[in-house]
Amino acid sequence: MANPPSDVMAKLQALRDSFAAQLPGKIHEVMAVGDTLCGGKSNEAEEGEALKLLHYLAHKLTGSGATFGFNAVSDAARALEIFAKELLDCAVPSSAAQRAQISAYLENLQRAAGQREKKSGANYWQESGAPAPRAPDSNSENRLIYLVEDDPLLAQDLALQLGNFNYTTHVFHSLAEFRQAVRQAIPAALIMDMGLPDGNGADAIMEIQEGRATPLPVIFLSGRGDLGARLAGVRAGGAAYFTKPVDIGAMVDALDTLTAQKAPEPYRILIVDDTPSLARYFALTLQEVGMVTEVVTDPMNIMQALVEFAPELILMDMYMPGCNGLELAMVIRQQEAYVGIPIVFLSAETDLNKQLEAMRQGGDDFLVKPIQPDHLISAVTSRVRRYHILRSFMTRDSLTGLYNHTTTKDLLDNAAGLAQRHNAPLAVAMIDIDHFKSVNDTYGHATGDRVIKSLSRLLQQRLRKTDIIGRYGGEEFAVALIDADAARAESIMNEIRVSFEQIRHRVDDREFNVTFSCGVAVFPPNGSAAEFNEAADKALYEAKRSGRNRVVMGGGE
Amino acid sequence: MTIPTLNRILYVEDEADIQAVAQIALEAIGGFSVTICSSGKEAIQAAPRLGHDLILLDVMMPDMDGPSTLMALRGIPQTAATPVIFMTAKVQPHEVAQYKEMGAIAVIPKPFDPMTLSATVRRLWEEAHG
Repeated sequence: MANPPSDVMAKLQALRDSFAAQLPGKIHEVMAVGDTLCGGKSNEAEEGEALKLLHYLAHKLTGSGATFGFNAVSDAARALEIFAKELLDCAVPSSAAQRAQISAYLENLQRAAGQREKKSGANYWQESGAPAPRAPDSNSENRLIYLVEDDPLLAQDLALQLGNFNYTTHVFHSLAEFRQAVRQAIPAALIMDMGLPDGNGADAIMEIQEGRATPLPVIFLSGRGDLGARLAGVRAGGAAYFTKPVDIGAMVDALDTLTAQKAPEPYRILIVDDTPSLARYFALTLQEVGMVTEVVTDPMNIMQALVEFAPELILMDMYMPGCNGLELAMVIRQQEAYVGIPIVFLSAETDLNKQLEAMRQGGDDFLVKPIQPDHLISAVTSRVRRYHILRSFMTRDSLTGLYNHTTTKDLLDNAAGLAQRHNAPLAVAMIDIDHFKSVNDTYGHATGDRVIKSLSRLLQQRLRKTDIIGRYGGEEFAVALIDADAARAESIMNEIRVSFEQIRHRVDDREFNVTFSCGVAVFPPNGSAAEFNEAADKALYEAKRSGRNRVVMGGGE
Repeated sequence: MTIPTLNRILYVEDEADIQAVAQIALEAIGGFSVTICSSGKEAIQAAPRLGHDLILLDVMMPDMDGPSTLMALRGIPQTAATPVIFMTAKVQPHEVAQYKEMGAIAVIPKPFDPMTLSATVRRLWEEAHG
């Protein structure tokens, strides 16, 4: 199989950029046809022609939009395409209501195109395997939830509680209302009561899922907890099933899982090969299955990549100028932090003795070049998966899944170093839950754990993927906001504080609210990462002292 | 049974953007030699002269769609036996069966991933001849 030449990516990217540039013109073209159609001035024959053209243009946008990764545009165009086809098939002049419907589809399409344009700078083709692009701070677009619930009080309460976790909830009190809405915008997930006055929720869902290429994530809500009712939910394609009264924490967990767009953490592979084209080829192959790669072509630069990229597996050429793979493996293994990292050698070496020697020196596997892409993928995947799990036990806190104390400290040091080198802003926030001991004493430790989990979830939702979030101690959290200055850090942390304060925690029939205090230090202060943490700690102490439930900015201001 | 080599591909697709992506995907990555036609009519005129190993046909095109293009190609001696793969956005299982009944060796769903399109085409080619 031929290797993809390095300029393929550039060519594809150029095509995508040109599509992005032409998109406004294409949308304009569709809108113009729509206007002719909806203007109501055309005769029957003209209308038929316009409808045909509209259908064709929508079809083209459906295909090319998806090809270039403009999925919102493609979905909106597809909705229009299907509707136009229905009108074409019934071959009678359109009614005013149908024309209004077309206008609604067109508006959606225009909105979808507007949304994506902002992102056109992103490198889509290379991104396909890489982690999702840095999410905006409040990405409300993909957090839209439809809630179909006829009990207005329950609906209002759920919407309010979900709002604290950054979900925008649209409530529908009947199936008819909901059916109308789902045609116009697709929510990130759907919460559906099984029993509604105008029909059965499960049946409605089945009908909607039938017409969709990717099923809509659905959570069923019911007063019944028996197996029969649950089975009906599963058969209708429900991803989760909740009985009333709803456990908000569990529901947010389910929503988070359902609306997550990518695997949360892709494997990280460091490729060390002095032939750039080969290294790039390996990188592309691994990226295609969703891994993140970093290439080092000069082995002397490996130390920096180890620290900053933090790989979970090293794929290394055996023979390189300067130093060979065996020496390099020994150097890596002599450092405590990398004793366990898998090292896979790649070489044209077919002598078994030499291969065994390589394994003795610290290699975990030996792959012979040239290698089939799928062999490379499976050899790397099986080793990196195990290490990934092992490492997550070592680096993550078991209750919240956040980084544990040691890892958080290391990552903060690292972030401070990077910020200093690039002269970029950085904010570190220390958070401590107020009166946590009394929560434990009053409601029990299990409830205390739930409170800790709810704060951890809130932090994960409100902060960006690139930010660092760690559980620093029992009820203490440390957060690094990359690229955030003082004003920004203060406003983000205050928003989170207000949301947290509003979350109602439920134990049996009792409900209570909890608050936290937060101290923030902003880089660059004049000093090391340690002094930095100390400044944040001091500010936290000040927040506690001055009355709790507040954010205090530190650093001698 | 030996599998004939796949080298020359005719791609029939009306959308210029997708033509360009497909050309890169099949030529630069797959190493195939590719001719692009923008309509069924163009394909019927060009195909007999060019002698391709495989024809990729978009299903939905204005004027002459994929299936009618296939029918026309089957009526021309030079292309009567050339394997055809349909490309389409809407692939329901019963539609795939329908397209295969028309004589297509396979159906590739759109949008395709340019990085893997060549591998997919090669695999389908080998399956059809295996």
